[in-house]
Amino acid sequence: MSTILTIEKVRKRYAEVEALAEVSLAVQGGEFFTLLGPSGCGKTTLLRCVAGFLRPDAGRILCNGERLDTLPAHLRDIGMVFQNYAIFPHLTVFENVAYGLRARRVPPAELRQRAIEALRLVQMEPLANRSPDQLSGGQQQRVALARAMAIRPRLLLMDEPLSNLDAKLRVEMRTEIRRLQRELGITTIYVTHDQEEALAISERLAVMNAGRVEQVGFPWDVYQAPTSAFVAQFIGASNALTGSLTGPDGGWVGVDVGGGWILRARPAEGLAGRVLVVFRPEAVELLPEGGNIPGATLGEGVVASREFLGAILRYYLRLADGSLIHLDEHKPDPTGLRKEGERVRFAVRPADVMLFPAEG
Amino acid sequence: MHRRGDIWTGVTGVAFALLAVLLIIPLGRLLWASLLGDDGGFTLKHYREFLAYPYYSRTIGHSFLVSGLVTLAALVVAVPVALLLARVDIPGKAVLKSLAILPLVSPPFIGAYSWILLFGRAGYVTTLLQKVGITIPTVYGMHGIVLALTLNLYPFVLLMVAGALQALDQSLEEAAQGLGSSPWRVFWTVTVPVTMPSVLGGALLVFLTAFADFGAPMIIGEGYLVLPTIVYSLFVNEMGGNPAMASTGATLLVVCTTAILLVQYWAVGRKRYAMTQLRPVPPVRPRPFVRGLLTGYASLVIGLSLVPAFVVAVTSFFESRGPVLYPNFSLGNYREVLFNVPRAITNSFALSSVSSLLDVLLGTLIAYLVVRRRSVATAALDSCVMIPYAIPGTVIGVAFIVAFNKPPIVLTGTFLILLLAYFVRRLPYSVRAGSAILHQIDPSVEEASISLGVSPLKSFAKVTARLMLPGIVSGGILTWVQTITEISATIFLYFGAWSTITVVIYRQVSSSNFGSAAAASTILLVAVFIPVLAVNWMMGERAVTAV
Repeated sequence: MSTILTIEKVRKRYAEVEALAEVSLAVQGGEFFTLLGPSGCGKTTLLRCVAGFLRPDAGRILCNGERLDTLPAHLRDIGMVFQNYAIFPHLTVFENVAYGLRARRVPPAELRQRAIEALRLVQMEPLANRSPDQLSGGQQQRVALARAMAIRPRLLLMDEPLSNLDAKLRVEMRTEIRRLQRELGITTIYVTHDQEEALAISERLAVMNAGRVEQVGFPWDVYQAPTSAFVAQFIGASNALTGSLTGPDGGWVGVDVGGGWILRARPAEGLAGRVLVVFRPEAVELLPEGGNIPGATLGEGVVASREFLGAILRYYLRLADGSLIHLDEHKPDPTGLRKEGERVRFAVRPADVMLFPAEG
Repeated sequence: MHRRGDIWTGVTGVAFALLAVLLIIPLGRLLWASLLGDDGGFTLKHYREFLAYPYYSRTIGHSFLVSGLVTLAALVVAVPVALLLARVDIPGKAVLKSLAILPLVSPPFIGAYSWILLFGRAGYVTTLLQKVGITIPTVYGMHGIVLALTLNLYPFVLLMVAGALQALDQSLEEAAQGLGSSPWRVFWTVTVPVTMPSVLGGALLVFLTAFADFGAPMIIGEGYLVLPTIVYSLFVNEMGGNPAMASTGATLLVVCTTAILLVQYWAVGRKRYAMTQLRPVPPVRPRPFVRGLLTGYASLVIGLSLVPAFVVAVTSFFESRGPVLYPNFSLGNYREVLFNVPRAITNSFALSSVSSLLDVLLGTLIAYLVVRRRSVATAALDSCVMIPYAIPGTVIGVAFIVAFNKPPIVLTGTFLILLLAYFVRRLPYSVRAGSAILHQIDPSVEEASISLGVSPLKSFAKVTARLMLPGIVSGGILTWVQTITEISATIFLYFGAWSTITVVIYRQVSSSNFGSAAAASTILLVAVFIPVLAVNWMMGERAVTAV
């Protein structure tokens, strides 16, 4: 695979806000690449710069080595799927899909065949003659997808395409989008604020925050080895405590998180004094009476509350210094439930405890 | 992507140039004329004179008094009916609401004229009562103006308040009830405050329209002069007219209407409550007897405002000799109008069609600029284009004469001066109609077209303009209707062959040719009612907001 899209030091400023602060990225041909971040992080701004609806203040955008940012939007040959689908309400499903082909003056026979083919891919062929107001949200989404793919774009951009669908349909559609993208091999840039969706759908993803790219990587790496406190806390559930380093402790480092509790953690370079301690709920395990896990840090707390979520049971524990952590018990055993107010012992595996510079 | 020097920059330039020539220059010239002394120097003499002599100054008080009374009467008449239409299950509600739009589009001077037909010196009712020995006071003067304008304008309040009541979500009143309020308390603490901005908005609209109206006081006011009519009589005075004093009166008129608009902006502008409505409050269904009574009341009020149209239509088929009408069926009046002044009718249709078309074209483009291409320049354009909204037709009339009767631009005596006056008066309405629809079209639809390879300009035409079309067409029809019934600027600007149907009606009424005036009025009303009812049928509820 070779790089198809290069974003070089792109900046964009709105009156007061720095929407993009020198963003650089490279997207590989055929890749499914996601821009993930909270609202206002600049992900949609970046996508619209690539699409041509916004002009960067500085930097370059290249597609296959050719300047893209100087080209008017309608000459970029980029397919786009919008958050609200942007279906043309005055055209039928077929005409919506044929719209881009007509602009390219595709001969009638080929046009028909290509539009129908695109509709077949999204299973909308039987509804080709419908008017858009007769379609459900999910169906409109499929038409938007077919319309963008029918022009065989160099790049497919998707701006939060699933955010207007209900939870179940959202999961179905994301599987389908991924399947289609694999089949057709279209390089896709996908924007979402939903970290679960991003992990599930992406080949690689870029986590953005406040106009910057925080981390680029495979979903697994971004989850397991976040390079910043922001990424660690934005992706997946996490517990965060502040503490101060006490020094090496075996192969680990000790952190005093208050209440006399010293937590062992993965050593991190360049840290001293106050640190932010982050660990995932699955790094914590409740211990039975007198139980122990060799090598783990043992701790004590009181059950503050619990939530039954079906496959898991989530406990919130109050620690001695008053801070709150949570942990998940998988396949909860109804006979071994801990009650609210009950004092419990737990273990934290040091390999799963990450350290970051304390904020501020 | 937005490039410098594209077609939209050109449209912005053209719009600014047009507004400069058609608004800034005439209004500047008007102000200048009011400040110019006989010796050619600057003077406040005319303003002193206008305010010092009761003959002039009392017209300001008259205008405020008449508009105040009309507003009050409109509120009294309209609010109960609005409540009935919104909250009570009344048969034929949709029909009543459509009919309520008709008075708004009938020119007030036809209303005034029909009240003269009924209650004037030789009116049907007056003579009938005289036969049985009862003398009633005539309808001329202040109370006649108030009567005519109230019945013309109260639907503004009616439709706005009924709309606000229907936009109220049921949950709001339920929430108040759930918190322990009695229905009566809910009404006073929730329903009334939430609809108050609409009541105020409707009332101020009535006030402004009444204040700026020229036709009704001209026809039924007789000696009772208001600002627009004194400006006119100063202008066409038998001693050759007094342009400086007329300009002074016109300037004072603009000052008043601008002040009213500012009050409106301050009182209502920011207080609209945005509500996401899911369920309107279901109408109550009273006992059959009460229901019949309420239906009768609503129909009576709306029917009363349609009396003028009815009286005029019936009269048009009477035999007539000057002010004397004989109740025999005759087409003589129509013959007279069609043979004597066919040119006026074609003028009216041609001028209002062309000016409405121009309004729609430029109005749509300006709306697009203002909504989709926000910049300092387009924001300024948005404000400038709304200026005509504050300027009564009378003022446009005087200003255009003052500005365009000598070089460099001479337009007086041509059709162009009428066309341009109509065009600039109605431009704000077209821009508002256009931007209202544009706000309902998501910008991404146009972006989708661009990303599929269609150039921005073509995308605008193929997608955005196409989606705006239904709104543009109905907005255009309403503009046309307002233009063809225009009298206040026309009366200053028409010349010889370029007379219009409204001028014909006015002159026939003035010279007591009641028969042909009725025929001309009927032609005008039919021409106006049919398209308005068609738009209403096309757009349903939204037509109300468009008016």
